[in-house]
Amino acid sequence: MAGPTAEERAFWEENGYLRFDLAIAGEDLVRLKNAFDRAASACKEDWLEGIATGTKPAAHFDIPNPLERDDVFIDLIDYPVWFPYLQDFADDEVILLGPQVRTLPAQPISYVGWHPDVPHTTPLHMKVQIYIEDVQANGGAFGFVPGSHKPDAGPCPKPRPLEAMPNYKVFPGKAGDAILFNSYGWHTSMVNETGVPRKSIILIYEKWSEGKVSSDRYASISDRLTTPERRRLFSLEPMRG
Amino acid sequence: MIDAHVHVFAKVSEEFPREVNVNTPPEREATAEQLLETMEASGVEKAILTQIGGVEMVQHAYLLRCLKEYPDRFRGIGLVADPQHPEDQMDRLTGDGGIVGFRLFKIGGERDPLAPIDVRTFETYPIWKYAAEKDYVIWLYPPAAENHCVPYLMEAFPDLTVVYNHMAFCPGEGSFTHDEKGRPHIESPIPPVTRYNTLGQYLFPNVCVKLSGQYAFSKEPYPYPDLAAWHQTLLKNFKADRLMWATDSPWILEDPGYDNLTKVIDTQLPEISEVERTSIMGGTAEARLFSRG
Repeated sequence: MAGPTAEERAFWEENGYLRFDLAIAGEDLVRLKNAFDRAASACKEDWLEGIATGTKPAAHFDIPNPLERDDVFIDLIDYPVWFPYLQDFADDEVILLGPQVRTLPAQPISYVGWHPDVPHTTPLHMKVQIYIEDVQANGGAFGFVPGSHKPDAGPCPKPRPLEAMPNYKVFPGKAGDAILFNSYGWHTSMVNETGVPRKSIILIYEKWSEGKVSSDRYASISDRLTTPERRRLFSLEPMRG
Repeated sequence: MIDAHVHVFAKVSEEFPREVNVNTPPEREATAEQLLETMEASGVEKAILTQIGGVEMVQHAYLLRCLKEYPDRFRGIGLVADPQHPEDQMDRLTGDGGIVGFRLFKIGGERDPLAPIDVRTFETYPIWKYAAEKDYVIWLYPPAAENHCVPYLMEAFPDLTVVYNHMAFCPGEGSFTHDEKGRPHIESPIPPVTRYNTLGQYLFPNVCVKLSGQYAFSKEPYPYPDLAAWHQTLLKNFKADRLMWATDSPWILEDPGYDNLTKVIDTQLPEISEVERTSIMGGTAEARLFSRG
């Protein structure tokens, strides 16, 4: 598995993101789409009931416990297109915090403003966003401000509307495209004006730190995490001997 | 100060017919005169009277009487009996100038956020459309199941003034009960999960939020510290000129008491400027509600 080239590393450090066009394709993409739709179909009634009782958000539909539903979601976590980059950037000590298998309804407003996910006091925090269907620029695409991950970027501005953010970049993409980004950076989901819900998977990682993820977080799928590398990635075993 | 959401009602009579429930038995009254006395004791000059006791024209009799009697002190919010054909009732209720808007407890919209959405199919669409045409206010207290429909309506009617009730909480099904004092109580997460479809509506310049009903949503006694972060969030998103303080009297007269509620914003938003406080405590309601009618 190949990690970043010197050029990619420099781009990552300067901009805070890397894009992998058609990172998943062919049979892998078909398998992933099928698993996504199957899981979404199985969980939708519960989501609608949760909306009605005021306990689940209508603004995004997250499939609960996706790793327990289909091995295709587990295989995404250390997928060879992006995982070597995560390992490299985290000094070979990356852990999984969780996946979000998410459908975003088309809405006249975005459900979230520009924000970083964590402060710089948190160990390096990274996300991979994978589009399951084609996403147009006005279809709820991922937006990111290149360079905003740097410690000297200052606090995230709150421009109104989203488009007032200076120097932001929108990431339309094809099904199977993936974007790796540093979550110190300012990002959002742009407004979806297409009428078509956006389907994507967001994988959340962090450079290991003691006690961040308990060893039983992924115990329910431990029988499928058989290699030492995977067991460390899923915090089933200690990162450091 | 302007109290942007109170209820008045008379004892049930031929002159003032109304529905009854556990909070409003036939012999109970919460009159305009009692309200004015309470307001004056706390330095509150004006109030928005929100219809209670039924949607029919005849059930608005006491509200209309109060608006006519005290035109400088009150404006009113009415209810609509037939959402498919609301125009006549909306015009009749606003005819004398006191009623400036209409309260909605539902949208009648698509409950699946992933389905195609066409606002023209919503049950209450004629009310929204006519309110937009006549510049009436929509007084909105939608259920959680339908809050995602509101941004579509705002997109269709971007100039319409909409006032979310009770801190923009949207009650979930089965969440409404009464507490041991007989007051409405709504069991809801704090902050409300519906916020993801509410906060982005700052984009629509006439969407406002009423800061009221803390007693019904808080899990703590007055001054309801568990709601402070949510008040801050609303201020950050909507700004003071779109927020309105209110008490929801008479449900709060015993606990925490009317006068205490005139100070609730000071405890929820202790950092605001005097200009912001002036807006929230009456300036916004004066500009957006009392300037009508």
